[in-house]
Amino acid sequence: MTLFLQTTLNGLMLGGIYALAAVGFSLIFGVIGIVNLTHGVFVIAGAYLALLFYTELGLDPLLSMLPVGALLFAVGWVYQRTIIDWAISRASVEASLVVTFGMAMILRNLLQLWFGPDVQTITPFYSFFSISLGPFRVDMVRLVALGSSMVLLLGLTLLLARTHFGRAMRAVAQQPLAAALSGLNVKRIHAMTFGVSAALAGASGAIIGIVQPFSAASEVAWTLNAFMVVVLGGVGSPAGALVGGLLLGLINSYTAQYFGPALTQAAMFLVLVLMLLLRPTGLLGNPYGESR
Amino acid sequence: MQRRTILKGGAALAALGAMPRMAVAQENMITFGGSVPMTGKAAETGMNVLRGYECAAKFINEEMGGVEIGGTTYQVALNLFDDASDPARASSLIQRQVDEGVGFFLGSFGSAIVLPTCAITETAGRIMVQAGGGSDQIFTQGRKRVFGIFPRATRQFISSVNMFKELDPAVKTVSIIYTNDPFSKFQADGAVASLAEAGIEVLDSIALPAEVSDVSNVLTTIRANTPDVLVCTTHDNTSILIARQMISSQTNVPMLYQTLGPQTEAYQKALGKYANTVVAQTYWDEAANTSGDYFGSAADFAAYYRANFDRELTYHMASGAVCILSYLEAAKAAGTLDLDPVRDALAALDFKSFYGQVRFTEDGDGDPSLLGPMLIQRQEGTMKIISPKTNASAEPIYPAPLWDERT
Repeated sequence: MTLFLQTTLNGLMLGGIYALAAVGFSLIFGVIGIVNLTHGVFVIAGAYLALLFYTELGLDPLLSMLPVGALLFAVGWVYQRTIIDWAISRASVEASLVVTFGMAMILRNLLQLWFGPDVQTITPFYSFFSISLGPFRVDMVRLVALGSSMVLLLGLTLLLARTHFGRAMRAVAQQPLAAALSGLNVKRIHAMTFGVSAALAGASGAIIGIVQPFSAASEVAWTLNAFMVVVLGGVGSPAGALVGGLLLGLINSYTAQYFGPALTQAAMFLVLVLMLLLRPTGLLGNPYGESR
Repeated sequence: MQRRTILKGGAALAALGAMPRMAVAQENMITFGGSVPMTGKAAETGMNVLRGYECAAKFINEEMGGVEIGGTTYQVALNLFDDASDPARASSLIQRQVDEGVGFFLGSFGSAIVLPTCAITETAGRIMVQAGGGSDQIFTQGRKRVFGIFPRATRQFISSVNMFKELDPAVKTVSIIYTNDPFSKFQADGAVASLAEAGIEVLDSIALPAEVSDVSNVLTTIRANTPDVLVCTTHDNTSILIARQMISSQTNVPMLYQTLGPQTEAYQKALGKYANTVVAQTYWDEAANTSGDYFGSAADFAAYYRANFDRELTYHMASGAVCILSYLEAAKAAGTLDLDPVRDALAALDFKSFYGQVRFTEDGDGDPSLLGPMLIQRQEGTMKIISPKTNASAEPIYPAPLWDERT
């Protein structure tokens, strides 16, 4: 029983990171309808920026989430207003899939050019701490990651539910035409959504940087993880990302413990396929999809 | 200009481009083709191997003024492309160079890339000398024109078991974590076989997928079944992840032995003082008592490299450089750059170098008695050779102190 509970705890810790890294991807998918294959680059760019803040200014990654998020908000905003908007307006929403794929490759190589090919890690003083809870043991950095995920996801939930921008974002997601006729600047909301998404990705990158080694090539895995989280949990809501992330973490953890770590990816993709067949909108569905 | 004239000119140029350039040397230049991971997940080590190739070419051209083969002095040129750590892309690049007539190939890094690319060069009758692929599959499928500086993966653990047998207290149990890829799996299989032969019990043999983000559950198993030595035949990223999680979860073992990873600067940065006492493999060390023509001694190679390149020196640079030296020694012995005589000379090669005595087995991999790994251990921030005893610069620290007692 102890082993099962420890495995569950490990899965929840991992799931928290998956959820945070995926929520931005989910938001863009839900609000604009774009599968943003550049998402993993934003995550890894966040990790590199957090590394820079840590090595150059001595800023703890948890604190650097704010400036990293702000920088990536600006990047995401500009990215949407230029490349994404051009692709959508001149071709189609589907064209953005190819564009974001191409941009991911370009940006991955640029990251490597700037930061080199070597594996990087961020090692604050608490990197090697752990907490014992009776017979259970939890890595401090993973606990911190889970806590940060919860705080950021709660913040996003409040942003969407309680602010004018949140209501505007939901309105644009549900009925873009009606929102525009009501006087909302849809393009601006799209850009803001992309900015928020990139900021969340960057903040998650700062956390991921202290949890595990990363390099520019790691971005592919984070885009793929985000995609799986969205398929499992549902599109467009922080709750969906949280459910999907935790579920993915648990699948990973139980498979590793009871069937062997080599089968974790196979199990994750098996569940992905089953989910697409049985409940393609994910466990919590798409809160905006019904009204479109 | 008339349209017909332009078409004729274009057709002539196209025909010229398509014509196979079978000559391996042009205008007294020996051109080595190949691909290297300059980007992607294998880029860190790929760049190390590339710097080794570049270092050898620079030394031969600038310090030696070229090399004399069959009465002609040749310079060395590299025609290496970025395969982005992608076997499919590497295969396309190598096929293109085969079509262009390149005869001498240097290897990429990683068995998953070397395997398909060496199959292409072998089929085309070209030669590959590489220091990036140790999978048994490279050497046990009947290829005659593929040579590896390293012994095949299943033979890379013999020296490790020899050290285990000499440790006090004696090593009785070992657990193995490996990545499920063509190199790591074979290396783990070799370890299991060598350990069994030595009468050492293998408690667990755990496979990891290529992309890992968490090893908490694996470490739960290790804590429940603590071995005397935990062997990880994993690549750099995964080795760092395992070590970090071992420290934070206080998973203590008397010896942590990771074949790849601890040699890198990234590992040292990621672990700091905790990197001390971790054991790793190295195929070359600048303190080793080896020397030969070209660079001189191992220390001379290190000095020349550091004077000309910024990237931190690891054994991959040395093993990359010795690939080119092997080609040149073979060509000198053959007295020609024709492919078949050079291939035969490579198979019969037996020469002293800064890297050690270079000799290949009948299957083309490095002779394990000469080119097998030495074992190194970081002690007070510096890598020390701890085995074999003939080259050792320090005694092994075993059992290692607990993680929270390390300084």
